[in-house]
Amino acid sequence: MTLLQAEGLVRRFGGLAAVDGVDLALTEGEILGVIGPNGAGKSTLFALMAGSLPPTRGRVLLAGQQVSGLPAHRVVAAGIARTHQIVRPFVHLTVRENVLVAALAGARRTGQPARALAEEVVAEVGLVERAGDLPAALTLAGRKRLELARALATAPRVLLLDEVIAGVNPAEARQLAALIGALRARRRLSIILIEHVMPAVMSLSDRVAVLDHGRKIAEGRPAEVARDPRVVEAYLGTGAAAESP
Amino acid sequence: MSPARRRLLPWLDARDAAGFLGGLAALAALPLVLDVYAHNLLTVAFLAIAGALAWNWIGGFAGQVSFGHAAFFGLGGFVSARLLLAGALPPPLAWLAGAVAAGAFALGAHPTLRLRGPYFSIATIGLGEATRVVFTYWDRFTGGASGLSLPVEAGEKYRLYWWALGLLALAVGASCAIRRSALGLKLLAIKSDVDAAADCGVSPALHQDVALVLSAAVVGASGGLYASYFSFIEPTDLLGFDRSISFVLMAVIGGVGTILGPALGAIVFVLVRQYLLGSYPQLYLGLYGALLIVIILFEPLGLWGLGLRAVRRLHRRRDPALAGEGRT
Amino acid sequence: MQRLVDMAVSAVLLAGLYATMAYGLGLIYGVLRIVNLAHAGVLMAGAYLGFVLHRRLGLDPYLSIPLVLAVTFGFGVLLYRGLVRHLPRGAAGGPQSLLLLFGVWLVLRNGAYLIFSGNDHVIRTSYSTRAVEVLGGFVSLNRVAVFVVALVPVVLQLVLSRTYAGKAVRAVAQNASSCTLVGIDVERVYAITFGVGTALAGLAGLLSATLFSFNPSFGTGELLKSFVVVVLGGLGSIVGTSLAALLLAVVEVFAILVLPAYLTSAVGFIVLVVVLVLRPGGLFGQRVLG
Repeated sequence: MTLLQAEGLVRRFGGLAAVDGVDLALTEGEILGVIGPNGAGKSTLFALMAGSLPPTRGRVLLAGQQVSGLPAHRVVAAGIARTHQIVRPFVHLTVRENVLVAALAGARRTGQPARALAEEVVAEVGLVERAGDLPAALTLAGRKRLELARALATAPRVLLLDEVIAGVNPAEARQLAALIGALRARRRLSIILIEHVMPAVMSLSDRVAVLDHGRKIAEGRPAEVARDPRVVEAYLGTGAAAESP
Repeated sequence: MSPARRRLLPWLDARDAAGFLGGLAALAALPLVLDVYAHNLLTVAFLAIAGALAWNWIGGFAGQVSFGHAAFFGLGGFVSARLLLAGALPPPLAWLAGAVAAGAFALGAHPTLRLRGPYFSIATIGLGEATRVVFTYWDRFTGGASGLSLPVEAGEKYRLYWWALGLLALAVGASCAIRRSALGLKLLAIKSDVDAAADCGVSPALHQDVALVLSAAVVGASGGLYASYFSFIEPTDLLGFDRSISFVLMAVIGGVGTILGPALGAIVFVLVRQYLLGSYPQLYLGLYGALLIVIILFEPLGLWGLGLRAVRRLHRRRDPALAGEGRT
Repeated sequence: MQRLVDMAVSAVLLAGLYATMAYGLGLIYGVLRIVNLAHAGVLMAGAYLGFVLHRRLGLDPYLSIPLVLAVTFGFGVLLYRGLVRHLPRGAAGGPQSLLLLFGVWLVLRNGAYLIFSGNDHVIRTSYSTRAVEVLGGFVSLNRVAVFVVALVPVVLQLVLSRTYAGKAVRAVAQNASSCTLVGIDVERVYAITFGVGTALAGLAGLLSATLFSFNPSFGTGELLKSFVVVVLGGLGSIVGTSLAALLLAVVEVFAILVLPAYLTSAVGFIVLVVVLVLRPGGLFGQRVLG
């Protein structure tokens, strides 16, 4: 069943179309990877889906209901949560309190008491020992886990992960990837993830979509997409496809 | 991590409640041993503390620094005074009406809350000044530059002490309740990062509105009590930029963003003003300016922060094994 | 009809003053992302400085411009180096810088009060009452002179932006951390920018003093108007700032036709709120809603 649907999404900034007519469909329970060279419009796409930005044209549907154009906090209430590419923790609150803020929204969705939900999520992402610290005391990997925890605490149906794995060391990256996979199973989430760390994307995703210059240029199983000449060219430049094995 | 304390309410534990009630009882009984001068000084101090604490809900918790709170103070004061002059309501209800009027005005100021940081602050300067100008020239309501005189009832000024204490108790209780509740958490999230807060399901508009309305209402009530206390009010005093500044100074010097820090700032402010007023009338603003600079650079949590540091140093001296850990 | 022409001329001349007031505030905000609340204090200081030079040394205000510029520039640099620089960088846009500079404003205000008392002053020269004919109406010579002087920063800005220094400033405004990589001394740029910003405020204050009376509280209204112009005009756009200043001046001057006299001082604020609420990006599009 298609849970999240993006139809003809366009977003212009002045004369530039960061997202230029993108259609995307997320099936319930699947992990969809979104890749593409820098500046392809991936984060903008997330912003459109999460309500941080209104689309210039097109719409986003969650289980058939339109969510595009709604303010961000209402999109969260509907069941879509996102993390940010550059982590944005609440610096004035502890780790636990950070997650609790989001859990207040999650509590409304599930009926579970917010504190319990927050504790559960903190444990799930492995931040129990740091729960009383301020975000400034965490490493980058810790802060990425916090981003993830906050998104999870809103009890979403759809999780938009924006480069959660990028920027941490390989050991951490493997742990985070494993965590994402486990979360999908345990919490029955549907996930869209933007990533540059190719091994992670390719192994986690059921399907992959490739963006370039605001448009979707390929979509399909990870292995197929990796071989698609258009994708190779987008990353490596024209003519590169002819040279790849 | 402090040992678990018995909680009476989610935001109130037994020890805090006992301290609060004890302090309240002590202050209520204090007039028995005070002379008139001290009695009156305390009344004024209570009003200042209540106002500073209320300012902190929007300025400290939500991080939206308002330089226009005099508008709420003046509105509350004049609405209350007008109702008293017309004999329409007994004083407590007139003060309440002042609070309601100020709260309603805060709702009207809703569009400014969409602004961030310095833009909001400058908008509030404008709001405060515009209100002052309008009130100064709307002399049918405010008496213009000559102000309004209220009839003085025997003993009323004396009794205001306990009404002011009541408002103070309300402000202190509300400060604790707000800070430790979901509302406080959300306000701090908004203060940290508005967009990220929205991405966590928090409606920035709604919660900032609530904080501002509550803040305005309490400040408006204090304006009403102020009017009854002095029996004479005029627009420049109640609505002037200096009045708006005083809220900012009290809260920031005391400890902006802390629960009770602004109370310290208010106490210092009232005392200093009282004693400097005689000798160097206009010096205190410059003094506070310098103090503000020092605080921003060295101890952003103001006097409260200084106090915490002192207490922590004392603890470390008593038990050197204690790692000086813990949050403010 | 003549009345309308006179009002239009009045508005244009006033716009020059408003633009000068706004440049300084806009420059500091554009490059450092700091709203300089001490702007009001420096405006006031510029006025008093000119007043003292005129009273004590008989120096014509227009001749004292270089001196006032130098003093307020130096003050700005000192202010940055001594205080503002120590604020944590991320807090530059936050309440801390706001409050710090607010404290400076209070000190300046109080200083002026102690030295000059709270009375109103104005700089009156031998030619203060002379009038010139402009488009069929008579206009005070002073106003024309102020306008001419106000054009200078505009010209300078257009010239300087083509120089290396000008480009360095713009680079720092856009991406300070990268600038260090190409050898631009960011702190120096910040300090100088701050100084130029305060110098422009001092100049505006001096010019104001020849037109309007002032006292230590002078500056609040002007700060608001400067802010309106900066927000309306967009950051880093001299053309935008000038147009915005013109718009504000026109609205203010012609508001007298429809509003009671006492409300005209509130006009600036009304314009500000209306613009911020309806067009959060300013007229030329910058983010004020964050």
